[in-house]
Amino acid sequence: MNNTDLVRKSLKKRYLKERIFKTVGLLSIVSAILFLLILLTDIFTKAMPAFSQTNISLEVTLDPDVIGVGENPSEQDLMAADFRRVIRNSLADQFPGVTKRKEKRELYSLTSMGAEFQLRDMVIADPALLGQTIQVEFMADDDVDAVIKGAIDRNLPESDRRVKDQKLGWIETLEESGQISEQFNWWFFTSGDSREPEMAGIKGAIKGSLFTLLVTLALSFPVAVAAAIYLEEFAPKNRFIDFIEININNLAAVPSIVFGLLGLAVFINFFSLPRSAPLVGGIVLSLMTLPTIIIASRSAIKAVPPSLREAALGLGASKMQTVFHHVLPAALPGILTGTIIGMAQALGETAPLLMIGMVAFIVDIPQGITDPSTVLPIQVYLWADSPERGFLAKTSAAIMVLLFFLIAMNAIAIYLRKKFEKKW
Amino acid sequence: MAPIVKLTDLFMKTLKKITLIAGLIAASQIQAAGRDYISVVGSSTVYPFSTVVAERFGKSTSFKTPKIESTGTGGGMKLFCKANGIDTPDITNASRRIKESELKMCHDNGVDGVVEVLIGFDGIVVANEISSHEFNLTTKDLFLALAKEVPTEKDGELVANPYTMWNEVNAELPAVKIEVLGPPPTSGTRDAFVELAMEGGCKNFPWIKDTKSTDKSKYKTICHSIREDGAYVEAGENDNLIIQKLQKNPDALGIFGFSFLDQNADLVKGSVINGAAPEFETIASGDYPVSRPLYFYVKKSHVSEIPGMQEFLAEFTSEKAMGDEGYLTDKGLIPLGEDKYMKVKTDVLELNNLEL
Amino acid sequence: MTVSALIFLLLIFAAFSFFMARQKISTAYRQTQQKSKILTLPKYFGYVAALTALLPALVMLFFLQMAEEPYINSEITSYINDSEIEANQDLDLYLNEIKSADTPEKVAALSPEKQVVYQRYHEIETTTNRTISVIVLSLSILLVILGMRKINTETPARRVFEKIIEGILLLAASIAIMTTVGIVFSVLFESTRFFGEVPIMSFMFGTEWSPQTAIRADQVGSSAAFGAVPLFVGTMLISFIALLVSVPLGLMSAIYLSEYAGSKIRAVAKPVLEILAGIPTVVYGFFAALTVAPFIRDLGESIGLSVASESALAAGLVMGIMIIPFVSSLSDDVLSAVPQNLREGSLGLGATRSETIVKVLIPAALPGIVGGVLLAASRAIGETMIVVMAAGLAANLTVNPLEAVTTVTVQIVTLLTGDQEFNSAKTLAAFALGLMLFVTTLILNVIALHVVRKYREQYE
Repeated sequence: MNNTDLVRKSLKKRYLKERIFKTVGLLSIVSAILFLLILLTDIFTKAMPAFSQTNISLEVTLDPDVIGVGENPSEQDLMAADFRRVIRNSLADQFPGVTKRKEKRELYSLTSMGAEFQLRDMVIADPALLGQTIQVEFMADDDVDAVIKGAIDRNLPESDRRVKDQKLGWIETLEESGQISEQFNWWFFTSGDSREPEMAGIKGAIKGSLFTLLVTLALSFPVAVAAAIYLEEFAPKNRFIDFIEININNLAAVPSIVFGLLGLAVFINFFSLPRSAPLVGGIVLSLMTLPTIIIASRSAIKAVPPSLREAALGLGASKMQTVFHHVLPAALPGILTGTIIGMAQALGETAPLLMIGMVAFIVDIPQGITDPSTVLPIQVYLWADSPERGFLAKTSAAIMVLLFFLIAMNAIAIYLRKKFEKKW
Repeated sequence: MAPIVKLTDLFMKTLKKITLIAGLIAASQIQAAGRDYISVVGSSTVYPFSTVVAERFGKSTSFKTPKIESTGTGGGMKLFCKANGIDTPDITNASRRIKESELKMCHDNGVDGVVEVLIGFDGIVVANEISSHEFNLTTKDLFLALAKEVPTEKDGELVANPYTMWNEVNAELPAVKIEVLGPPPTSGTRDAFVELAMEGGCKNFPWIKDTKSTDKSKYKTICHSIREDGAYVEAGENDNLIIQKLQKNPDALGIFGFSFLDQNADLVKGSVINGAAPEFETIASGDYPVSRPLYFYVKKSHVSEIPGMQEFLAEFTSEKAMGDEGYLTDKGLIPLGEDKYMKVKTDVLELNNLEL
Repeated sequence: MTVSALIFLLLIFAAFSFFMARQKISTAYRQTQQKSKILTLPKYFGYVAALTALLPALVMLFFLQMAEEPYINSEITSYINDSEIEANQDLDLYLNEIKSADTPEKVAALSPEKQVVYQRYHEIETTTNRTISVIVLSLSILLVILGMRKINTETPARRVFEKIIEGILLLAASIAIMTTVGIVFSVLFESTRFFGEVPIMSFMFGTEWSPQTAIRADQVGSSAAFGAVPLFVGTMLISFIALLVSVPLGLMSAIYLSEYAGSKIRAVAKPVLEILAGIPTVVYGFFAALTVAPFIRDLGESIGLSVASESALAAGLVMGIMIIPFVSSLSDDVLSAVPQNLREGSLGLGATRSETIVKVLIPAALPGIVGGVLLAASRAIGETMIVVMAAGLAANLTVNPLEAVTTVTVQIVTLLTGDQEFNSAKTLAAFALGLMLFVTTLILNVIALHVVRKYREQYE
């Protein structure tokens, strides 16, 4: 038997090994993708209920006497007026025979706590409604919402069900008379946080994230680009520059929570900047994303071929002119891509913000960078912590909003890279 | 090159705009100096209640909604007692009473007037999955099942906790493994559970009770130490997660606040302790042995200076919030009795200083 | 005048100086006889003039702004003392209502006494603001006038301008150092206080982490045990599980993508892997706690294993998935850095692709891969949200992945946000743990970067 035969004999085994190896490689990719799919589907299915809102349509009589306002009330009078009674009367009319205190409370909890404010805002917007009888779609309580959406199983025995038979009966009566409807939950995108799941919205967190990112961008982008230009184009070879480079590389890998400790000790305790403000969050996040953007910008600048520089220098441009007129424009797409990726990283970051007081209950929509606010990931963390079950869907929905922004940012980065990428 | 040049142009323009706007924003921010919202910090247990009041307050008045941070009782005290001044919080929530050392800290830092507001009680429940076994516990059972060391037949002798099954602790209990998910030591819930349930059971052993007068620290070590061999699982402060985990694990028991039981009554059920089931009425009447008071503390010097403080305090202590039928009870707060409520109300109205 | 208006004015003035200087030099150029002596474009004179108008004035403005509040406060204090108004002991607090009164209604709502202070406060504020504006503007104007006198066609304006810009660039680059210094100081300062209370040896080598004893002075045996070994072991355990998942999967994915996959698969798989890297950790945490952990528990129960509901396995697994893209992109880099001729040589000798990869590429790329794994490890060690939401708090000293363990980052978060007592060793311990974390990741990174760099040089 000669060598060729030996090789030939082992071939089958070797090819098998080859196939196995290749399959293992494919499998590992498939499993990573599969995991991503599972994660997204899991979040998606959990989030779906949060995008629609159950409403109860009730006929209310806006009797000024019941509300407790006189003729031509001012806005302040209306603010303080008792609109709850109107709604309660309407419910009591529809379900007479409810007399016990405890039962009454159950009955009144069919509509959301926000219903009275909903009605109030309607009247403030149009005071002519006073004295009229109108049909209003009120937000339903989260329990009603859960029953309608099937999150609470009606067929369970009463003892195991959170919504008891009596209340379920009322809900079914309302359902039969067509007073219950579902519609897209705009409220979720137009209001701030709330302790009632049905009233909780994401707008405050989105604006908080926006302000935080603005601060981060305004601070980190110019500094990072300047640093990258200096290190790539101007820095002399000496120990100090080496030290800077080591620092940048290390900062890129420092755990984000350590930046939180820095923010707590330096910006809040030492400089006494306000807690829970996008300003501090933005500063901390910009320090955190700085290395990412610097490294990306440096590699973009490095990728610009030396011939471009030499040509510019040869024509008599100064070093500074060469860099700003020729190198930087050519490197810009890469720099922008790196910046967007850095911003996306900052948008999803939670841990450092835990340390600087952004874990807070904030209802008002922030109006500036020193107003207290939360950000999207913190809102996710906060809602995941709330006792009301309605928040489970809200948490997942908030995650979807967060992912939407991240994907949009990454898509822009990819688009920029594709469109302006130049192979030298 | 053409698209790049265009991009650069566009980019430089936007960059200029952004820097300008950012500069202007930053500059205009420096000017705004006052704080027109109330700042609240403190316990994560009081957080669910105080946020509800804050939200209603913000929606029904022209004042801004107070900002409420969940920093933990101790962290809240630290921020609260740092100084008077607009960059310190006005109110701190606490799931235990302020300590003498903390009050002293406050006074040392110039925070002289501190008003204490007792808002109600929170029951601590031991619960398991709804279709699982019924537990009819006593505080003694809890102590024997969870203590690090338990007494033997002989007086004065302790051994490392040998029990692994509930029926070894008490023959009447179901034969399931002892596995209790509970809060970590950093939590006020844990603090209260140890003090009320564990110590309550511990006292059943006469010789241990006697050590209280002779050797207090030994007494505490015996009664307050929780076993660390895995039967007690520190499950984080996220009570929601505890409930999720109980569902997945029918044999385990979980320790958390009554408000969470109330919200999840269809998923978990509370165990009877010393003959009383964890219900609204039994906790309010004191029949249920494991409940703790919840407080918040107000900086007196801030009341007249921060817009809306008086109104917020009035809202919090109003009948419709804290009263027997108030909306806080919907969230699981156990209301104060009539006498205590009236006292709290006058304290707040007159802003009586807290003396310990 | 508000600060923004002042800055706006300065900008306008800077623009004006720019045109002035440029104009002056262009005119001078036009008059010169020797055109060959013209070395600098007129606009550079303009730039220098604009910078002269802006930079010193802005620095001045910054310092004056810093000094403004203390000054106003001291003025108003002396006023309050003089007029014997009974003020609160804390001035900021007393002034808060006055400062936040930005609408006429709010002003009207002030107490009469405060109305007086309000008037006075505004007088002082206006005067101070005016003074600041005058100082800043006149500084700017003065410097520009002086500069305008001095410049002539011989001035090396471009070089001056470029020096200034280079200085600014250097300043930007140095921020990295300032950040590091800031981090080191902020954790070191509190850590030294901690080590004053707890001996460093017992922290580093103690095997009992039992903060359950240390919440209150009157609680059980206040002898707090701050032995961090269980935390280190827990962190290592979870990181190890994460690496066990991510290294093989990440490496194999990278190999498949770079050596086997067609361009279509690559075009799909690469972005998908990047999405995996882009998902925020809080989302992974939520998923690990609510979906993966219960699943693993059920799985374990069904084959008769007892699994803690907060098992290290669940957190580690999800964390591992999270760092797959990290490992795969690093491996991709090092694999593609292996010279093509090694690959071709091996294939030419008749080796199959897999043999080439296993016997030639991987050994050649090994240092780079090791460096990548070290970087991934430092990632895993510092990861916070997943473990905060999905791992336990019990400091069990165990290497059993089915039990609950706690990590350094979890303890930092709980120590700083839990119901602990202020200024206790516990709060300080968080900073000591932060220091450990910083140092550990620092060492890992330095080694990893060194290894990777050495490896790159090998083929360059």
